[in-house]
Amino acid sequence: MPLPLHHDDPQHLGPYRLVARLGGGGMGTVYLGRSTGGRTVALKAVHPRFASDEAFRARFRLESDAARVIGGEYGAGVVDADPFAPQPWLATEYVLGPPLDEAVELCGPLPERTVRALGAALCRALAQLHRSDVVHRDLKPSNVLVTASGPKIIDFGVARALGDERLTRLGTAAGTPAYMSPEQAAGVEHTGAGDVFALAGVLVFAASGHAPFGGGQAADLLYRVRYAAPDLSGLPPALIPVLTRCLDKDPARRPATAELAELLAGTDDFPTALPDTLLAETARRATDVWRLQPHRLPPPPQSPDAPTAPAGLPPALSRRRLLGIAGGSTLGVAAAGTGGWLWWNGRERPQTTGPARFARPANIPGRATWWARLDKADDSRPPLVVGTLVAVRGQAGLVTFEAKTGLKRWTATSVKQSYEFTADTERVYACVSDGRNTKGLKVYNVSDTGGLEYIAGPFADLSSGSGHAEPLAVFGGVVYLAARKGGDRDDEPWSLLAVDTKTGGRLWNQPLGNHVPGSSTDRIVADVGSGHLLYARPLLPQRTNLLVAHRLSDGRREWDLELPGRRLDTSFMDTGKPATDGRHVYFAGTELTAVGLDDGKPAWTFGKGRPKGDLSATTSAYGPPTVRAGVVYAAEGTRGVVALSAATGELLWETPFPGMPPGSMAPVLGRTHLYVVATDGARDQIRAVDLQTHRIAWSMDVPGRVGGAPVAHERAGHLVWTSGDYVCALPFE
Amino acid sequence: MEPSRPGDPGRIGPYAVLGRLDAPAGDVPAAERRFVARSSDGDRTVLVAAPLEGADPGRFRAEAEAARRLFGPWTAVVDEVGTDAAEATPAWYTTPYLPALPLPAALAAHGGPLPERTVRALGAALAEALAAVHATGAAHAGLAPAAVLLTADGPRLTGYGAVRAATPPGPGGTGPVGLAPGTVPPEQLAGARPEPPGDVFALGAVLAYAATGYTVPERDELPAGLRALVSACLVRDPAHRPSVPRLLDELPGAAPGFGPAPAGFGPPPTLAGPGATVLDGGPSRAGALLTPGWLPARVVAALVRQSAAVLAAEPAPSPHPPHHGPS
Repeated sequence: MPLPLHHDDPQHLGPYRLVARLGGGGMGTVYLGRSTGGRTVALKAVHPRFASDEAFRARFRLESDAARVIGGEYGAGVVDADPFAPQPWLATEYVLGPPLDEAVELCGPLPERTVRALGAALCRALAQLHRSDVVHRDLKPSNVLVTASGPKIIDFGVARALGDERLTRLGTAAGTPAYMSPEQAAGVEHTGAGDVFALAGVLVFAASGHAPFGGGQAADLLYRVRYAAPDLSGLPPALIPVLTRCLDKDPARRPATAELAELLAGTDDFPTALPDTLLAETARRATDVWRLQPHRLPPPPQSPDAPTAPAGLPPALSRRRLLGIAGGSTLGVAAAGTGGWLWWNGRERPQTTGPARFARPANIPGRATWWARLDKADDSRPPLVVGTLVAVRGQAGLVTFEAKTGLKRWTATSVKQSYEFTADTERVYACVSDGRNTKGLKVYNVSDTGGLEYIAGPFADLSSGSGHAEPLAVFGGVVYLAARKGGDRDDEPWSLLAVDTKTGGRLWNQPLGNHVPGSSTDRIVADVGSGHLLYARPLLPQRTNLLVAHRLSDGRREWDLELPGRRLDTSFMDTGKPATDGRHVYFAGTELTAVGLDDGKPAWTFGKGRPKGDLSATTSAYGPPTVRAGVVYAAEGTRGVVALSAATGELLWETPFPGMPPGSMAPVLGRTHLYVVATDGARDQIRAVDLQTHRIAWSMDVPGRVGGAPVAHERAGHLVWTSGDYVCALPFE
Repeated sequence: MEPSRPGDPGRIGPYAVLGRLDAPAGDVPAAERRFVARSSDGDRTVLVAAPLEGADPGRFRAEAEAARRLFGPWTAVVDEVGTDAAEATPAWYTTPYLPALPLPAALAAHGGPLPERTVRALGAALAEALAAVHATGAAHAGLAPAAVLLTADGPRLTGYGAVRAATPPGPGGTGPVGLAPGTVPPEQLAGARPEPPGDVFALGAVLAYAATGYTVPERDELPAGLRALVSACLVRDPAHRPSVPRLLDELPGAAPGFGPAPAGFGPPPTLAGPGATVLDGGPSRAGALLTPGWLPARVVAALVRQSAAVLAAEPAPSPHPPHHGPS
């Protein structure tokens, strides 16, 4: 799965320009590369640190040779290699299919017909290898790629020619213990029959989701491989006899590959034997590789581009250095421990640090650093930043995640509706109903465990009924709310009030216009800007939007302004708050308007007479703006995004959006990029506009539709968004 | 990807040709020549469409320019329109490359007519694409099996205006060039101006083709579940053909996962009434049908093979490198 390049990855390897990272272990990295003619390849590069190690180089050369022996039908076709380069590399076909372990994580145990088809094809692959007197010695699910036309065996890092003893001195127990043959575990000759044993283990995993000898400590595993009976639970009964034969401890009693292929009787028509989900995953990979935009991560801020070690460190240093560098990566450490055999096996999996211990679901973009499932994630408002957490409303209530890692923290199960809570950047405040409207409104603070702590009220004159109060904003320890008067009539009046979170006292109470709360299309959105409480709400019959300012100190209504907008739900609604910079509030509609905070008069409007692309009559011409450091950013029609001077409304720059128009969500401004959601009505993308070049640096498909808008968690360095049933994060730059 | 044919250009505009998208036509002609091609820096791979021999390049360009205004998930994006009259290929336009099979190639890969589930999903998406075209006040007038590309995530409608560019003006004659028999509505054969009901006829023919392998099938060759609807599209009288919104309602059938749009999508229902399209910000209803399994396995395998072949392809070395001319 392509990931962005790291800041210190090379630009080129041989004639290939690097485009993305595919994975990496302790001793090398696999890249996606492109030739000058545009041929796309997978490039496996040995880290320069090991290039001076002769034995390592020899192994790398052998690996290239073995990969050539298996060829392009059953392996990743070798395109080119340079084992003598300062950084040796091997270029192969970029295989369009997931490794078998990811396939099983994605689909669950595979159906019998799939297992048979895979097994028969893998037999033919091994037969081809064995005919050339090469044994693989490390067959395991992660070394089998499942394409739509058949499996391919990769990673010949420990393959060797039969009878070639030169390299075995380097390590006694190469290979992965879970799928190792008993003879390999005992340290004696592993022949083609050993590969058959490993193949059977791989098929047991494919059919049941578990390895035949379990997992755990290597020593225990090696013991079980040699002496214990395989665990064949969960297998389709018809497969048990044939796999039992293959897993015989005596290599002589295992079937040969040709016989095994017949016993498995896989279908000739491989794709029809695959489950739909797996086929769709191969199709997705085959398609997504064409949408890839080259991207390089900036150097991490805490270790500012430290000078890289010169190539060819003294051998005595290299191992220690490896241990230091691979610290935290258990695979890297394990690789060092076995003498550098498994360098390729540490597929890069950022999610191992996050909450998801499962494979990246097919629809989660590779750029995402963490993701978490959240059933029925709120699609009407963006996630909230709360301290080190982000909070998103889901079916279970208000759920929080550690913004850095995606670990789930607390859930406030009593907060169910999107209008029931608000937050400053540190705490969540909520008004929840107790089911009646007579007890008086209470205001709560959500505690660190997700419980509700009562902080103010009950205000006997205000209703505690469902949907009768909306916390709007928190600023300086004061919660601003809209709330309905207690009483039984539907048209009880609403007020706007300020509640001190420390004393629980009501600071002021002012009448609010004819607000109809509780429906997402008529939600008040508010923010506190330089002494003003602003809120915007749509006036449905008039098809206009009302912008109102109240004085923060006593709540007095200062001014209001009706602004035309073609959409019934104002652009504010999607963002959750008006865009203001202390001087103006910026309002999107048919035009983009800056309204003076002090006088409520339009200071400038932008967009009159500008082409907006193909807008239907119901679409607002401008998306909700974002303002920062004197610049206003907003989506313009179906054409792209514009950046305007906040002071004058003058156009500073614009970026066209070919293919997919920008959606009606506020852009998010990062240090080097502006993040904009694009949508074609069925699918959404997050696009990053480079703030220097004003070009789209990359576009990324997201699962489902983006809910609310993405939000920046600056402390965690992540852009967080909800889409589909996921909360996802990517590096915020 | 199919190999280039004798006489094919090596370059089109700034792009080096890698191969053809279409196999040599049997009885399912295409209205334009389509190539897979790559920019000289190797970074961008595109589909390039050029008019058939004898077509009017000016008209072709004008139609392509007009198609640039069309958006939508099932509409192939027209990115760049070539305008260099001095070139060997004086008119062309590009679409970003995604692995895609023309509908006839998909039937060939599958080994026969496509399953009803595929036909319904295809029909719903094409109906949405037509709704988007009709909303601009135009008609496609060139919908035919070869104008439909299947990608992993849904069909793409192509070939806007290519037929009109390929067909000499005036009524009568042998009918439009580059269209499979049976896809041209009778009123258009008689010389009438293309109108949306003509596109409905063509959609019926395309779905008939997808479901039977023939654009003019016997009624009982059609799968029972589609018979009434497809036959209704193919009636002679344009006024009696179903409307596009009705097709959108009926094509999904009782497919699982299909239902009213989830709350929170798009504008309120009063705005997204009948005839609302994805262009209005409404949800794509066809999208709900394009779940894993919507394409048969062998078609997916063919798409993946094509992707792998184009990933591995490099343009043949040009006999005349672009920066120094022949000496």
